[in-house]
Amino acid sequence: MRRFAVAVIAAAAAIVLLAFSGALFGHSPWSLLSIVASGSVGSRFALASTLLKSVPLLLTGLSVAIAFRAGVWNIGGEGQFIVGGLAALVASRFGIVASLAAAMLAGAAWASIASAMRLWRNAPEVLTTILLNFTAIHLLGWSVNGPLREHAGQYPQTDLAHVALPEIGGVHFGIVIALAASVFAWWLLYRTAAGLRLRATGLNPNAARWAGIRVGAQLARAMAISGAAAGLAGGIELLGVTHRLFERFAAGYGYSGIAVALLAQLHPLATIASSLFFGALVTGAGELQRAAGISAGVATFGQAVVILTLIVFEHVRADR
Amino acid sequence: MYELIANSIPIAIVASIPLLLAVEGELLVQRGGIINLGIEGMMLTAAMTAAFAAQTTGSVTIGFLGGIAGAMVITAIFGVFAIALRADQIVTGTAINLLALGGTSFVYREVAAFQRPIPQLHTDIVSALSWIVAPLILGAILWNTSFGLRLRACGENPEALAATGRSVRMHRWAALMIEALLVGIGGAYLSLALSSGFAENMTAGRGFIALSIVIFGRWKIKGALLGTAIFGLAAALQYALQAANRGIPFHILLAVPYVVTLLILCGVAGRVRSPESLGRP
Repeated sequence: MRRFAVAVIAAAAAIVLLAFSGALFGHSPWSLLSIVASGSVGSRFALASTLLKSVPLLLTGLSVAIAFRAGVWNIGGEGQFIVGGLAALVASRFGIVASLAAAMLAGAAWASIASAMRLWRNAPEVLTTILLNFTAIHLLGWSVNGPLREHAGQYPQTDLAHVALPEIGGVHFGIVIALAASVFAWWLLYRTAAGLRLRATGLNPNAARWAGIRVGAQLARAMAISGAAAGLAGGIELLGVTHRLFERFAAGYGYSGIAVALLAQLHPLATIASSLFFGALVTGAGELQRAAGISAGVATFGQAVVILTLIVFEHVRADR
Repeated sequence: MYELIANSIPIAIVASIPLLLAVEGELLVQRGGIINLGIEGMMLTAAMTAAFAAQTTGSVTIGFLGGIAGAMVITAIFGVFAIALRADQIVTGTAINLLALGGTSFVYREVAAFQRPIPQLHTDIVSALSWIVAPLILGAILWNTSFGLRLRACGENPEALAATGRSVRMHRWAALMIEALLVGIGGAYLSLALSSGFAENMTAGRGFIALSIVIFGRWKIKGALLGTAIFGLAAALQYALQAANRGIPFHILLAVPYVVTLLILCGVAGRVRSPESLGRP
């Protein structure tokens, strides 16, 4: 209950600081808040777009939660999301299932580059995953300008994917997959021996080693599962929302996953609620950009405020 | 090809100045036991405040001072969380980067001053500072002063320093502020000398590359200079190849710096020993 209260306070702090920063630059804080509220939950259409944004955030949030629980610093969700989208597009001719499977495999493989570098060369994954993000962004840029460019050749974007996820009331089927993934992640982490080993490694790798757990294998496994979740997010975003790739396809979903997971205190089921909050924030910020000309970057700012507020309360708790 | 390399050297020296200053600052704080992943956000903020100060006053000097001030403010936020509250440094650094990324893109649209002309920098003083003066001074501080010895103790065995009655926190704060000074100059150089003003996310991962070069250089000044020189030359060659238009796709060339950094990390990281208490709050 206390942890829930802390999460609510952190979320509220983000909203308040957002309105305050707007006021600093001469906007009325109340009108900003009302734009965010009506743009994210104020109508059926707004609610549907909030849900649509929450789906990739839920999956990248799960990706981060699994990795951080295992003590692996996967900051590479953005790159894994992109290669997931690329693989899903290429495999889309073989159907939805094959396309999403390819997205997960690609995400896992991309993340595993970082774990291989860590295990063989001791290169810190916190840096290699970030560097792989930049590499993936330019790989995507090359793809949509080169080999995967649309046949019309007019814009730097790909042709439409061969398949699309079915829709129910304005929201694509990916929401069901994402919800199932969070239940699966909870079951994996808290109800299986494999999950216990992952968490034990995250809590104390030395103790885990003494208990006979192969820490290197746990690291590789956590990274692969984490990458698969972020890759799946990219695949679902492609088949459910964008239907094609372009340079700004990832739109920060990978990095946002860090804030989503931390607000949920790395719990897979709490990640559902957390992704809904950030989905609303991102949607509301988009509306701010359209209606008031304010940069949608305020959503990123809000994510940072959430993380920093959580740290303050962690500290208060640790001191007692 | 030989000519291409020879022509790239002057470009490499100038274009890698922000990176080099970041490497030097990060080396100092990591010697003191802190991983500052937020260096990317520090540099981005400095690039913005420098451009703002220069564009509103028309003075390059005030621009650089503005960059230093911006870097110090964001570093102070990092320090409050990572040192005073003993928060996880990676999480704090990530939050600082998001804060700077979101904050700068918000402010950039709100402030009209960014549309004004930017004053030109007509001096090589920053190249000399970053390639010669700063390394000499940092080397002297780290290896020839008692402050440097105590700072390195903060990185290896902070309990031992605390046992002598000295404050680990004060030493780390001092190192962070020196880093902010260097990164502030680097960020200012990026927006005032290497580009004409601020652009969203213009640091493009330089902070993370800097962290990688610190590891490559094994936390030593000479290694840091060598690593930056290798990286800077690779990046300059990439520019030259872009300009020469030899049929290599533009986006593949853009990925080169990051792939080079990954290879750099893999090439040496296996054999290095980091400061013992690096990253421990």
